[in-house]
Amino acid sequence: MTTRREFLKVGALLSLAAGVPRLLVRSALAAAPAQDQTILVVLQLSGGNDGLNTVIPFADDLYHKSRPTLRQVAAKAHRISDQLAFHPRMDGFARLFSEGMLAVVQGVGCAKSDRNHPGAMHMWHTADPQPPGPPTGWLGRAADQLWQPAAANLPAAFIGAIPQPFAANAERVIIPTVRNARDLLCPAGAATAAGGEPLLACARRATAAATATSARLDTVLRSGGGDYPQFRLADELRIIAQLIRAGTGIRIYFTELGGGGIGGFDNHAGQLGNHCSLLEQLSASITAFARDLQRDGLLDRVVLMTFSEFGRTVHENGRRGTNHGAAQPVFVVGGKVKGGLVGAHPSLADLDQDGQKVHTDFRCVYATLLDHWLGLESRAILGAAHPPVDFLRT
Amino acid sequence: MADADKAALDPQWAWARYAPDARRPWTLALTGHLFRRAAFGASWPQLQRALAEGPQKTLDGLLRPTADVAAFNQQFDHYETPPGDDRNAAELRAWWLQRMLRTPHPLHEKMTLFWSGHCAASNARADSAPAMQRHLQLLRRHALGDYRALLAGLVRDTALFATHNAKANRKAQPNPGLPRWLLEAHLGAAAAPDLNEAARAFTGWFIYNDELRFIEREHDAGAKKIFGRTGNFDGDEVARLVLEQPAAAATLVRKLYRWLISETAAPAEELLAPLVAAYAQNYDTLALVETMLRSNLFFSPAAYRQRVKNPVEYALVIIMGLESSAATQPLANALANLGQNLLSPPTSKGWSGGRDWLNPATVAGRLKLAEALLRDGPFIESSNPAAVAQKNGQPAAAFFAQLYLQDETLARGDSDARRAAFAALSQPEFQLA
Repeated sequence: MTTRREFLKVGALLSLAAGVPRLLVRSALAAAPAQDQTILVVLQLSGGNDGLNTVIPFADDLYHKSRPTLRQVAAKAHRISDQLAFHPRMDGFARLFSEGMLAVVQGVGCAKSDRNHPGAMHMWHTADPQPPGPPTGWLGRAADQLWQPAAANLPAAFIGAIPQPFAANAERVIIPTVRNARDLLCPAGAATAAGGEPLLACARRATAAATATSARLDTVLRSGGGDYPQFRLADELRIIAQLIRAGTGIRIYFTELGGGGIGGFDNHAGQLGNHCSLLEQLSASITAFARDLQRDGLLDRVVLMTFSEFGRTVHENGRRGTNHGAAQPVFVVGGKVKGGLVGAHPSLADLDQDGQKVHTDFRCVYATLLDHWLGLESRAILGAAHPPVDFLRT
Repeated sequence: MADADKAALDPQWAWARYAPDARRPWTLALTGHLFRRAAFGASWPQLQRALAEGPQKTLDGLLRPTADVAAFNQQFDHYETPPGDDRNAAELRAWWLQRMLRTPHPLHEKMTLFWSGHCAASNARADSAPAMQRHLQLLRRHALGDYRALLAGLVRDTALFATHNAKANRKAQPNPGLPRWLLEAHLGAAAAPDLNEAARAFTGWFIYNDELRFIEREHDAGAKKIFGRTGNFDGDEVARLVLEQPAAAATLVRKLYRWLISETAAPAEELLAPLVAAYAQNYDTLALVETMLRSNLFFSPAAYRQRVKNPVEYALVIIMGLESSAATQPLANALANLGQNLLSPPTSKGWSGGRDWLNPATVAGRLKLAEALLRDGPFIESSNPAAVAQKNGQPAAAFFAQLYLQDETLARGDSDARRAAFAALSQPEFQLA
C-alpha cells in the first residue's frame, strides 16, 4: 500500500497516474513550484462571532451575570488557562492548543470599527478603517505582489460557496473561485509546446502550467481525501489540502464559514444551538485539516487564521442572543505557530458600548502574516507599518 | 520582424492604408486577425468572403455596415428593459453578450466594451442595474462617435458617480472620487491641487433613488484654478478642460492602441503622434479606429497575435465559428469566473488585461469552457461541430485549425469533429487575439 506521503514523490506519482501520459507527469513534476513555500489560509466567520462564548472566561463572575441563558459552565468547557476555556464543543481546538499549534490572539479589532455588518466587514477586507478605503482587498493586494505573469503562477484562490468577498479583489491577478478541486483540472488533450514569440511563449507557459497542475491534482484526487467530518467547511478545507498537496503553488487560500444564508454567526436571538453547532464545525474542520496536513509533513508550511467582522455584546439581549460588539479573538493554527494565549482577555468590567475593548489592531495581525509568514512587504499592502504580534515561531 | 522595425521608425508607413502586394499578401490568417480585433470572430463563410473581397472592402463593412443597425439596437433596447430587481445585473450582462453575438455592427459593441473598461463603472459598487443600463446605453450611443460628447454624458452619469464613491458631493466636503477617475483615466495621474479644485467643481451632485441630481445650494460656485486656468468651473467644464490637455488625446490613443493593435510593446511617442494630433482636433473615435484598422501596422507582425484574448473574445470567437446561438446568462457567469465580470471590472482602472488574463486556473477554466461549448449543455443547447465542418466541406482537423487558428499546420486530432475542434481551441495560439 502506498502512503499518501509517497505520492509526493515522483515514483509513486507515476505508478498511480494511470491514464496520464508518463512524459506529461514527469514534465509536470519537474515544473512543480517550489515545495517549500509558505501558505496562508484565511477563514472568514461571517456574521460576527461571539468570541466571549468561544474563549470563555469561566472564572469571571461578570461573564455568568451577563449571560444568564447563554453562559457555558466550566465543567464542560475545555480549560486552556486558569481563567479561560474553549467552548464545550471545541475539543479539537483544545487538543491543538495543548500541542502548541494554536494561538489565540485576544482583543483584536479596530478602535474605529463600524458596528454594522457591511461597514465592519469592508474594513477587514480592505484593511482600512476609513471608508470607502482602497479599491482592492488586502489579500488581493498581497496576491498582486505575488503575481508573476512570466512564471504563470497562481497566487491565490477563494474556496467557497458564497460570492468572492472583497478581500480578494485584486487589481491585476485573477483569483478563481474554486467550488470543487476538479475545477482546476484541464480537459484531456490540451496541447503543449514551448517557446515562440514572447506573448505566445507566455500563453504556452500558462497552458503548460495549467496542464501540469491538472496532472498532479488528478493524481492527488485519486488518492482519496483524508478524514474530515461532514461539514461544508471541512469539504472546503479538504480541497485546500488537496491543492496544497498537488503543488499548485497557491500561496493564499481564502475560505468562509457562516455566510450565504441563515445559520451564520449573527445570532441576535436563540443563539445557543446555532452557535454551538458553528463552533463544532469550526473546531472539528480545522482540526481535521491540521491532522491531514500533519500526516504529510505539510503543516509546517501552512498557517491558518480566522477573522470575523466584529465580536458581540457582552450582555445577552433578552432574546437569548447577542448584538454587534467590538473585540474578538483571532485563531491562528499551524506547525510553525507559537501556540498559546496572545494578549490579555479584554476585561468585562471596562466595556466599549457593551463590547469588549480592542487592544490589538487587526492590521498588526495582517502585518505579521504578510511580513513574517508570506515574506511580503506589509507596508506596501497595508499602506503603513504595523508592529507584529508574537504568534509565530521563527 | 522587418515590418515592425519599419513601423517603429516610420509613422507615415505605419498608418498608411494597407494594400496587399506579393510581399505582404492578403491571407486567411489576416482575415482571422481582422475579425478578432474589429469583431468577436467570424464564421467560415465570413472569413472566405473577406478573403475574396480584400482588406479595405471588408473594413468598409465592419466600420460602416449597410444593415439597419439602429433598428437592431432599438429592438434590443426593448428586450433588455427593464432589469427590475436584477440586482447583480445578470440579465443586463446576458443581453449585452447577445447583442455582441447578433449585432450587424460588432465593432460598435467591441468599442462599447472598450469604453466600459475605460470608465470602469461597476455594478459591484453602484448596485443598481437601472443605472448600469443607462451607463451602457450612454457608452453605446457614443462608442464610435465624438468622445467629447461621451465624456460630457459620463460626468453626469449615475453609475459612474456611484462606482467612484461619489454619491454625495457636498459643498462643505468636496468628494475627490469622480475627478480622480477623470484625471487618472485621461491624464495618467491626478496632481493633488488640480484634484482638490476639480472636486470643488463637482460639488452639488447627489444620487437619490438611483438618479443623479444637482442641488444648486450645495454647489461651490467660487473660482477654481485647474491646469493653471482660473474660472467658476463646474463639472462639465472640468471635463472639457481635461480634453484640452495635450496628454488626454495621447492617453486615449495609447489605450486604444493596446485594445486594437498590440499589448506587447509600448508604442513610441513619434509613432502615435499623427493619430494623437488628429484625435485632439475633434475626438472623432470612428476616424481614429478607422485609421488604426486600415493601417499597414495593423496588418503587420507588430500587431498579429500581440494581444491576449479577453474572456469575452475567447468565448465569442468559438461561438461565432460554430455559427451557433448561446445561452448568455450562464456564459456571463462563466466569464466572470475567468476574470471578466461584465459591468463589474475589478477596480477603477478596469481590466488590466494582457498577460494578467492567463494563470493556471483561468487557462484550465478556458479549456473547460471551450470543451463545454463544443457539447450540448448549459451554453449551447445543441452544439454540432461536425455539422459545421461538413457544411463547409472539409475534414474536421484541417477545418478547425483553419477556422480558429487560420493555420493548417496546427491541425491535430482525427475525424471526430469535437476532438478536432478542441485540439484547435486548446492550442496556446488560440489564447491570443
